[in-house]
Amino acid sequence: MKRTFLLILLFTISLSYAQDIPNVILKNLENESVSIQKLANSNDIKIFSFWATWCVPCINELDAIADVYEEWQDETNVELIAISTDDARTKKRVIPLVNGKDWEYQILIDDNQDLKRALNINVLPYIMVVKNGEIVHTRTGYTPGSEDELYEVVKENAKL
Amino acid sequence: MRKLILLLIFCLSLNQASAQLLDNLRLGLESNMAWYNDDKRTGAFFDEENNDGDEHVRVNSYLKLDYDFLKNFTATVQIESYEPLALLNYSPNFEGTNFGIYSLNYKSNKLEASAGHYYEQFGSGMILRNWEDRQLGLNNALLGGRMKYMPLDFLALTALYGKQRVGFETADSDIFGFNTELDLSNIFNFENSSLNLGFSYVGRNETADSEDPNFDDLTNAFSGRIDFTEGNFYANAEYVTKTDDVAVIAGQLIDNFVNPGNALLLNTGFSQKGFGIDATFRRLENMGFYSEREKTGNVFLENNINFTPALTKQHDYLLTNIFVYQAQSQVVFADPQLMEAGEIGGQVDLFYNIKKGTSLGGKYGTKLAFNASYWAGLKGDYDYNNLSYDVDYFGFGEKYFSDISLEIRKKWNKKVNSIFYYVNQYYNQRTIEDNFSGEQIKTNIVVGETIYKFGRIGQSVRLEFQKLWSNSDNHDWIGGTFEYNVSPRLSFYVNDIYNSGMDSSTSENHYYNFGGSYNKGTTRFSLNYGRQRAGLVCVGGVCRFVPEATGLSASLLMSF
Repeated sequence: MKRTFLLILLFTISLSYAQDIPNVILKNLENESVSIQKLANSNDIKIFSFWATWCVPCINELDAIADVYEEWQDETNVELIAISTDDARTKKRVIPLVNGKDWEYQILIDDNQDLKRALNINVLPYIMVVKNGEIVHTRTGYTPGSEDELYEVVKENAKL
Repeated sequence: MRKLILLLIFCLSLNQASAQLLDNLRLGLESNMAWYNDDKRTGAFFDEENNDGDEHVRVNSYLKLDYDFLKNFTATVQIESYEPLALLNYSPNFEGTNFGIYSLNYKSNKLEASAGHYYEQFGSGMILRNWEDRQLGLNNALLGGRMKYMPLDFLALTALYGKQRVGFETADSDIFGFNTELDLSNIFNFENSSLNLGFSYVGRNETADSEDPNFDDLTNAFSGRIDFTEGNFYANAEYVTKTDDVAVIAGQLIDNFVNPGNALLLNTGFSQKGFGIDATFRRLENMGFYSEREKTGNVFLENNINFTPALTKQHDYLLTNIFVYQAQSQVVFADPQLMEAGEIGGQVDLFYNIKKGTSLGGKYGTKLAFNASYWAGLKGDYDYNNLSYDVDYFGFGEKYFSDISLEIRKKWNKKVNSIFYYVNQYYNQRTIEDNFSGEQIKTNIVVGETIYKFGRIGQSVRLEFQKLWSNSDNHDWIGGTFEYNVSPRLSFYVNDIYNSGMDSSTSENHYYNFGGSYNKGTTRFSLNYGRQRAGLVCVGGVCRFVPEATGLSASLLMSF
């Protein structure tokens, strides 16, 4: 069993195909169902940001982008979808936090982590840039200034 | 073994197939390694759960494959490996290498069907929640079948049956569930408001060992929910009731101590641009609900059917996580001085954004977050000798915990950001930890954090200072972190916390850690060396105790 497991590990590492967007439906803050595949299938660039109210680097990143978001949207028509992975303990904090911080993002709720699990996301924050249903860029973790690099990716793909 | 080879052949043949086919495959790999060392100050390495002092190097690995096919189908397999033994303080039930999760799912607009393992949640989870958290060593998926049917726009029905996963086995009981979600705003065409109702049933059927027990094999739980939103205002309520269930004290079923349970959760909030407020009240009475009765309150968080997390703010700094509240949902009759039947309390959150251009807001605005929570035991008469209690519905008994915190975030200019954090806590060690000689600890904690960006894109340093004062001679902590981010991909950190108080287990030990991490796309590798304080590790609302340990750890995450 152990050896087979190792074999599969090696095999995994040798793979490098882009993954697809899973067919998951999440609720927005108005309790309406939103299909992730439909959202991703757009000619405009979508940034999916997985976050939680208790994750300090996630808040840092979304705060940093909020400062320049208007500019980004004017220039590239990009949209950021902030997917809260908060569970029942902290979910109640999502609406007041988003409004209190004056974020203009589309917010979706993944409270039992169906989408997070389907995409094999283990660490927050997690950024995924999508165009026409294809994932063009991903990043795990946030360090200050990473949003500038993210915007370079958005601009590059907006031109295509 | 044969299954594995088949799987491998399946994967390899996929490799040969067209890229189109491979587009439908998602892979996730997580591997966490630890090399435990003997420590001159805190003693030699020893794993009490497995009674082992030899296996210093351990690796927990998870490989998950999801394959989408024929438009509506997804097959999922998760292989898990804990070799040669699981990391410290994981349940000994996680042993060896095996299939952890396997499932086949069908999904169309109106119908969803799953066979194999699945994760489900009804309402907020107070009646049922199955989920996975690898850091906590928690996976309580159900193994069986589930159907979701949405016959109309406003109606969703779920029916499920399963046995709960415990380690690589399943619990010795059957779980049945049924759920209805009704969207009334869709029926009545409300324009600006929404009204949702929910009803659930969860049954646990576990055959009792004793001959003529005072409780039924089948325990039933029912829940009703209402959710209302109008413009900037929202309110919701959830009530759960559980039929007669036997009390479990120190792993023993107490046959002449049988009571029903119930839970009430109320939540309301209001928010607008730049301002948000939220208030929650919850009362739990005898709401421990496990797929095997005698596992009630087990430290590995196994066999949990429902989810009753502590409703307090989850702090993110080392010293703010020394005294962590855990929800007291169960009946505890440990001693005539230590009797509990549940908890009552609540919390309030406030978020406020001081506008740009005002004197307090400055050029970039100032962001405030405030939280206060208070939790107590249920007020009433407890009779230790006759094993009974009679509690008031809205009475507050002995205080268990309180926490007041304020966070101020300030951007000074394009290069410098700061966070200031203040926490005041009350922690009733005796009741929260069921520790007879526990203290009543009051603390004040301050944290200051500054980030300075310089040079090329993504280069920055982060400095963090922490201090904890308490009324107890045992706890007087100080701590700090220095982090250097070389680029968005590479960063290094070092941190240390130190207790100059007299607490016998932590006094005058440096709990230091240093390490780094490298990210590229969906791959992340991190390396860390240090001494871990014994205490609670908390992730997303649940905490688990981990022992003191010193050593090297590494982690690899990948997904394709």
